Amino acid sequence: MIRVNDTNVEWRSGMTVTLALEAMGYDFPLISVFVNEQFVPEIDHDSFEIPDGADVKAIHIHHGG
Amino acid sequence: MADRMEITVNGKTVGVQKDSYLLAAVTDAGFEVPTLCHHKDLTPGGSCRLCLCEVEDGGRKKLVTACNYPVRGPVTVRTDTAEIAQHRKILAEMYLGRWPGVPVVQMIARECGVTTSRFASEITDDAPNACILCGHCVRACDEFMIERVLEFAGRGIKRHLTMPFGEVDHHCVTCSSCAYVCPTGAIEIVDDKNRPLDAKAIRDHGMKVNAEMATLDSKQCRMREVGTANIVDVMDAYDLLPVHNYKFGKHPEAKKLYSTTLKAEYFTQGAADACWRGCSMACAKAVDGFTLKTGPYKGQQVLVDGPEYETAAGAANMGCFDGDFCVEFNFYCDTYGIDTISAATAIAFAMEVFEAGVITTKETGGIELRFGAADEALTLLHQMADGEGFGVDVGQGIRWMKEKWGKDGEHAAFLQDIGMEVKGLEFSEYVTKESLAQQGGYGFAIKGPQHDEAWLIFMDMVNKQIPTFEDKAEALHYFPLFRTWFGLMGLCKIVWNDVVPADNAVQEEAHKIPGHVRNYWKFFEGLTGIELDEQKMLDQSARVYNLQRILCRMLGFGTRKDDMVPYRAAGPVTREEYESRADRYDGQLADVVGVDPAGKSTEEKMKILRDFREGQYEKLADAVYRRRGWTEDGVPKVETLAALGIDLPELVEVIKADQ
Repeated sequence: MIRVNDTNVEWRSGMTVTLALEAMGYDFPLISVFVNEQFVPEIDHDSFEIPDGADVKAIHIHHGG
Repeated sequence: MADRMEITVNGKTVGVQKDSYLLAAVTDAGFEVPTLCHHKDLTPGGSCRLCLCEVEDGGRKKLVTACNYPVRGPVTVRTDTAEIAQHRKILAEMYLGRWPGVPVVQMIARECGVTTSRFASEITDDAPNACILCGHCVRACDEFMIERVLEFAGRGIKRHLTMPFGEVDHHCVTCSSCAYVCPTGAIEIVDDKNRPLDAKAIRDHGMKVNAEMATLDSKQCRMREVGTANIVDVMDAYDLLPVHNYKFGKHPEAKKLYSTTLKAEYFTQGAADACWRGCSMACAKAVDGFTLKTGPYKGQQVLVDGPEYETAAGAANMGCFDGDFCVEFNFYCDTYGIDTISAATAIAFAMEVFEAGVITTKETGGIELRFGAADEALTLLHQMADGEGFGVDVGQGIRWMKEKWGKDGEHAAFLQDIGMEVKGLEFSEYVTKESLAQQGGYGFAIKGPQHDEAWLIFMDMVNKQIPTFEDKAEALHYFPLFRTWFGLMGLCKIVWNDVVPADNAVQEEAHKIPGHVRNYWKFFEGLTGIELDEQKMLDQSARVYNLQRILCRMLGFGTRKDDMVPYRAAGPVTREEYESRADRYDGQLADVVGVDPAGKSTEEKMKILRDFREGQYEKLADAVYRRRGWTEDGVPKVETLAALGIDLPELVEVIKADQ
């Protein structure tokens, strides 16, 4: 299990940042991702594997308004 | 998402993004490659040829200009072979022969091992600020400003920079982008018409935004492409798009109003369109040659300015998922001088009231005003403008309609729950049920629930960045003051957070977009000479913000009861709403409220959830008023005015009874 923005998400081996964002339904273009407080650049979202138990912050830069 | 791959540069393995340009990969890996025509914020030109590198791909070697060579495979790259060095040396000598006095040419020549040139000729220009034909200015005009005022003319040694027909082009908006990117000083700014204290500081910080628009916008919000309508798609995906008077946050037919649809079927200009010439964001869009189907201009072809997000979302709120309707509604609101937000929200309210049976065709003058009734909504809009029929009622706004239809008492509570207004102003087009902070962003806004003070939905609901009441109160202190501040300065909000610096994510307090906040401070400093920091900025704004609250008090508003939101903004009013998202609400009852939903009726669960959420809002009000230095009833304290230096007797007189 990992936590993405304080929500439990089922972890599986090889789970990348991209897969975690898909699991949350996050497709906003301005998302900054931190895994256990380490910033993961967008270029690495497809390859960065999230470890089990990780705390993931997917920060949507607020928009609208 | 990016396709990452590895290449080899001078024996070193380097990770790159597929289709990125080789020069960036090489320099990011720490290897220096000379160039005269490349600029980090502009499309590569490939004209100076100095960045030649050797690329080995599948056993074949070739020389390529690194600046415009897209990496598409695991190539092997060499940046400094003897052959490359010889090429660069000859090129550098030629450049030095033509422009021997230009410092940047001298520097490049030295890097290539050249100090003198054999190529002096009749076209040699000794000036230190000679134009070296790098093309930065031509590309900046096009890419920063979406203008093409500058271009090259002539061939070979007669090639030169010019405006069309060699005359000053009136399309030039004197943005100075060309001078900003010029590496030699050949383009000089000779006049700053408004005589700011430090014009260069203003230009330099403005240029940062221009460069971000040129390089980042297409990957971020696509403001140049579709404007604010890009948010329609996002809000629908995140269950935040108002549908049927804010009952729901998404709809299967919402795609008919997505920015992709609007672009494909309506934005006929096919290019960026600025609300003032010179804006590099150019987010305003237009629909050309639209044939109206109704109203006084029926049958005429017109130009429509929009639709923007709020107008498209307003159409969703009325259940009218029809692009033609949206554009026509947009046109007539503009033509009549009616706000698209208030009109759409008021009509959506009337639609729900009609569907609930509180009013019938007797009140509407025969109009079957159901959700999705696009023709009827347009009829109503025309009536509002003409002051006729049922349009007279709807045109008075939701607060007026609630009082009229609720005065018998039977429906008053229901109308209050679903009537999306605060302080007499209609809500703008966002669903706030799952964001307590955004409920406050609307409820505590001085002018009523418009979205210009605080838009906190993502911070609160999605990012979970402000979990406590104090966190939310801090956001409801900072953002309204910040956004009020740049409104006071006449500075546009859009360039604050509709494009974001590439390195924003790793900045402290990234949610504030600190790089862009500093831009605003530098604009202010460049104009006035007064240095700003966050506290000085907030204090400037707080004086006006508190004054506005006192003016509200003078007008009979401006207390706690005036900041309360209708329950539709905070939670499900109807059984239909609750059951449409039963998993969410049941889960919250169990996890957040601490009540087991099992065995309870929908009505029982709705009551428990409502009591909880309304209690949360009251606690938020307490925290916000404390943070703002206001009384428990939401009135500025005299001591707050004193701390801001605005405890003027006439202001204190207004609020002294509330202390």
